[in-house]
This record gives sequence, structure tokens and C-alpha cells, in this order.
Amino acid sequence: MLTVLERGQTGVGELMAMEGAARAVEAPPLAGRAGGGRSDISCRGVYKWYGDSAVIANLDLSVAHNEFVCVVGPSGCGKTTLLRMLAGLAEHDSGSITIGGVPVTGPLPSVAVVFQHFGLFPWKTVFNNVALPMRAAGVAKDEARRRAEEAIALVGLRDSNDKYPAQLSGGMKQRVGLARALAMQPEVVLLDEPFAAVDAQTREILQEELLGLWSRYKQTALFITHSIDEAITLADRVVVMGTRPGRVIDDIVVPIERPRSVASVRRHESYAPLRERIWERLRTTAQPK
Amino acid sequence: MSVQRVDPRPDASSVAGSPAAVSEQALGQDVREARRRRLRRARRRFLAIRIVSLLVVFAAWQLYGMHTIAILFAPITTVVHQGYLLFVNNGLGNELGYSMWTFAVGYAIGVSVGIVLGMLMGAYRWAEAAVSMYVFALYATPMVALVPIISLWIGFDATAQIVIIALFVTWPMTVTVFHGVRQIDAELMEVSRSLRLNRRQTWVHVLLPGAVPYVITGATQGVAMGLVGVIIAELQTQLSGLGSALQTQSQTYHTAAALAVVLLIMVLGVSLRAILGLVHRRLVPWLRIDRGDGREG
Repeated sequence: MLTVLERGQTGVGELMAMEGAARAVEAPPLAGRAGGGRSDISCRGVYKWYGDSAVIANLDLSVAHNEFVCVVGPSGCGKTTLLRMLAGLAEHDSGSITIGGVPVTGPLPSVAVVFQHFGLFPWKTVFNNVALPMRAAGVAKDEARRRAEEAIALVGLRDSNDKYPAQLSGGMKQRVGLARALAMQPEVVLLDEPFAAVDAQTREILQEELLGLWSRYKQTALFITHSIDEAITLADRVVVMGTRPGRVIDDIVVPIERPRSVASVRRHESYAPLRERIWERLRTTAQPK
Repeated sequence: MSVQRVDPRPDASSVAGSPAAVSEQALGQDVREARRRRLRRARRRFLAIRIVSLLVVFAAWQLYGMHTIAILFAPITTVVHQGYLLFVNNGLGNELGYSMWTFAVGYAIGVSVGIVLGMLMGAYRWAEAAVSMYVFALYATPMVALVPIISLWIGFDATAQIVIIALFVTWPMTVTVFHGVRQIDAELMEVSRSLRLNRRQTWVHVLLPGAVPYVITGATQGVAMGLVGVIIAELQTQLSGLGSALQTQSQTYHTAAALAVVLLIMVLGVSLRAILGLVHRRLVPWLRIDRGDGREG
């Protein structure tokens, strides 16, 4: 939404200039990348206004280091706005947002985003899409190539290195999106309804794969979704957002042990009660008072 | 998710290598193969339609030409023969060379100015605010209207002709490139910011490649506009090139020869378009993916 507003007054060139200013804030040292460091997300009293109405009001949210948190909420509860603020793509109006103790004022190098509509460059092959952020960040060519190839193999697209996004199915496109985020070796991954644009069956396959990937490369993850099942399947903790204004209305630990599979989660004894509780919370927030 | 900590076991290195993922890819292969076959069939069918259409039109031209007075029209065989004679006896080759030379220079200037102006207007709102009204005003003005004034300023020589041709090409080019840059997905700009591309990287990896299809569209329109410019410039300033040949032949009622010049200009336009089509396929491989309807991007 903000992009549209911004583009009303500024061209992409000017946006780039603004981003250049934000970039001056450097990220914390990446020494702790291997797992010992702090890469927690913390939002305290965050507000976001569009005109006179608060899209997000007094939002508190924290995600611990190496924790996987899903945010569920009805359309218009500001969950995507929240993710964009965490990604440094939108500004918050008051309160504080920090990642690994660093205030977010622009995109941080330690954070990777997986976009709902994949965000792949149509003129770049799978390999070049995955390698681009590393090359842009100044990673040496050989190193970038090795990491890109590894990440692409990890998501099962080894044979698609030289294909263009238009030649891939939706599920494969989002695998490329995941590979790009993986190859950046981020400390924090933000996923904005990443599986919303693929069909139901592919969605379950991708959830399964994400469970596998995350169980190996545990890192701090915030996953936005409107699917209760998806949230329970993937998350250590589910945060429920209410609408008008967007705020946290429930915060539930998912007591299902890992490793998980989509099927094992469904069979788990706490699955039905959890689903019931989240659904109840969403139902009441969606109703006009 | 540090990729460095990859599981050393080779068959465990692909989490996504699950049967489901593999079959999805295999299915994609089948579907694509079927689509390719459909595309080949469609292409053959369209080629056949094209040939039949040409035969019908040429036959009608021939028949009508044979049954009308020579001063009004001529059969296509006569026209082609007259064209051959013009090349051999009247130095049409030189005229063609002259026209192509002014066209090439004017076209190159027009395309370059259009790319730069269009890109700046598309990427920077201040540039759009500063110049868009002139660009759109000139785009909406028939350039023919400016020809007498340009002659007044620059004269009637080749320079004036080149300026006129460039003017014909520049405005459609500018407007097309401007819209192209503006249409680059807002989400992709957001992705670029998220990936922390700097200004130069954003131009190189996002804006320029994203604008290429529009540059080629503008350049293709520019061919047609540029050829209009060539003939108008040659008729309205110093009589020269193909314009002069056309004028001479039609004013002396050598209708078949005049038609030959027109046919030559047509062939020129079609060939230049075809060349740009090849350039398009070369420069925009990511759009060259068959859409299954017999056309290509």
C-alpha cells in the first residue's frame, strides 16, 4: 500500500536515493551467524497510520532467537504491513522495532524476505535470481556460485538452473524464492504468505519442504499466513492478530514436537483444540462490534 | 539456514527431492513437450495462411492491373520489371542508398534520445515534471507541421532531413520507454530494495533489463515513423533519395515505376521490422517462452 502512495510522489530513482540513506545504518557484526548470536525480533508499542486511521496500534511482538513464529489474522489486519516494517520496506510511525538489537530503519543485511508473489526477476535465470543478492553484497564470484548452486539443489531445482521464471510452475517459483533467501545466509527470514499463490496440493508439499529445511537450518523466522492449519503445522508459536486496528490478540505456543510432518501435525492430539482456539479468536475479531 | 552446514550425505542433500516435487517437474516436461508440438503445428498453419493470402492479393493485383489503364495502375509483373529498370537505368540504387543513410543517422539519434529521455522520465518524477508536457505535446503534434519551420532554421540539406527523421522517431520512442519504465512492477522495486541493491545495481539488474521489451517496441514503431519522416523530408526539403524517385515518376505519369518505388519502401519497412523482431528474440529471451497459442512473446 505504501509503495503506491510513495510512487504517487516519487519515481523509482528517487526511491533508490531514499534507500541509499537508510543503508547508512549498518548491521551488527555477523560473527554469531553460526547459531550462538542473538537474532531476535522485537516490536514495542508500534503504531502505523494511514491518514487518520491506525492500521497497527500499540503492537507488541517478540520472536526469540531461532524461533519460528506464524502470524495469522484476517485480511486487512495489517500483518503484511507488519512484515514490511520488519523488512525495512515501510516505516513505522512510533514505537520501536529491532532485529538482533538493531533498530530497523531500512532493509538489514541479516534479514531475507520471501515474497508472496515470489519477487523473481523475469529476465534472470533461476541461478542468477538466487546469486543476485550475494553478488550485490559483494560476495566473491566463486563463493556466490557455490552457495547459489547448493541452495538451488536444496530446494530440488538442480536441473532448472538455466530456466527463466516463466518456465516454472508457481510451486517451483517459490522454491527459487526460498533458495534465494537460503543462499543469503540470513539470521532472520521473513515470509509473507509465501504459499498463498500456489494450489492447495503444492502448498502442502512446500510446507513439508519448509519443515525439513527449517529443522536443519533453524533460524529466526516470522511467517505471515491467513491459514490456521499452515500456522499450526509450521510454527513454534502462533500469534493471532485482530483487525481495525491491527494488534496482537492472542499468542499461543504450539506444543507439537519436532520433527514434524504435515500428516503428523494433523494427527496430534493438541491439533484440534489449537485450531478451535485460533478459529474462535479470529471469528470474534472479524465480527463487527 | 546457513547453507554451509549442508548434510554431507549426497542423497539427503535435497530436501525437496521428494517424489512429489520430482513428479511435478516431470509433469512440467510433458506439458511443455505437448505445447511445443502444438506450437509447431500452429506455426505451419499460419505460414500456409500467409502464403495463400499473398498469392490471392498478388493475383488480384495482376488481374486488375491487366484490365485498367496504365496511367492509373499496373500489374505487379510490370511494376517489378519497372523497378528493375529503375535500378539499372535511373540509379535507384543511389537514391536508396541516400535515403537509407539519412534514415540510419536520424533513426539512431531519435532512438538514443528517446531511450535517455524516456528512462529519465520513467525513473525520476522530477524529470517527468520538467519535460513530460513538451514530450507529450510534440508526440501529439504531426511532425509534418514542423517541417517548413525546420527548413527555415536549418535549410534544405541532409542535415535538415536527418533532424526531421529524428523528430519523427524520438517522440513515440520516448513515450513508449517512459511507460515501460513506469510499468516495472512496484513489487520488483520493493524486492530490489529488500535485496539491498544500490542505485547502480538497480539500474543494471532491474530498470534497464525491465525496459528492454519497451525499448524494442518503441524502436519498432520508430521504423515506421522514421520511414514516414524520410519520404516527407525528401519531398518537403531538397528533393532527393526515394522521395525524389517517387515524385519524378508519378509526376511524369510513369505509374508502374512510381508503384515500384512504393513497393520498395514497403519491402524496406517490412525488412527492418523483421530485423528488429530478430533483435527482440535475442535480447529478450525470457519472453521467448511459447504461450501455446502459436504466437511468441
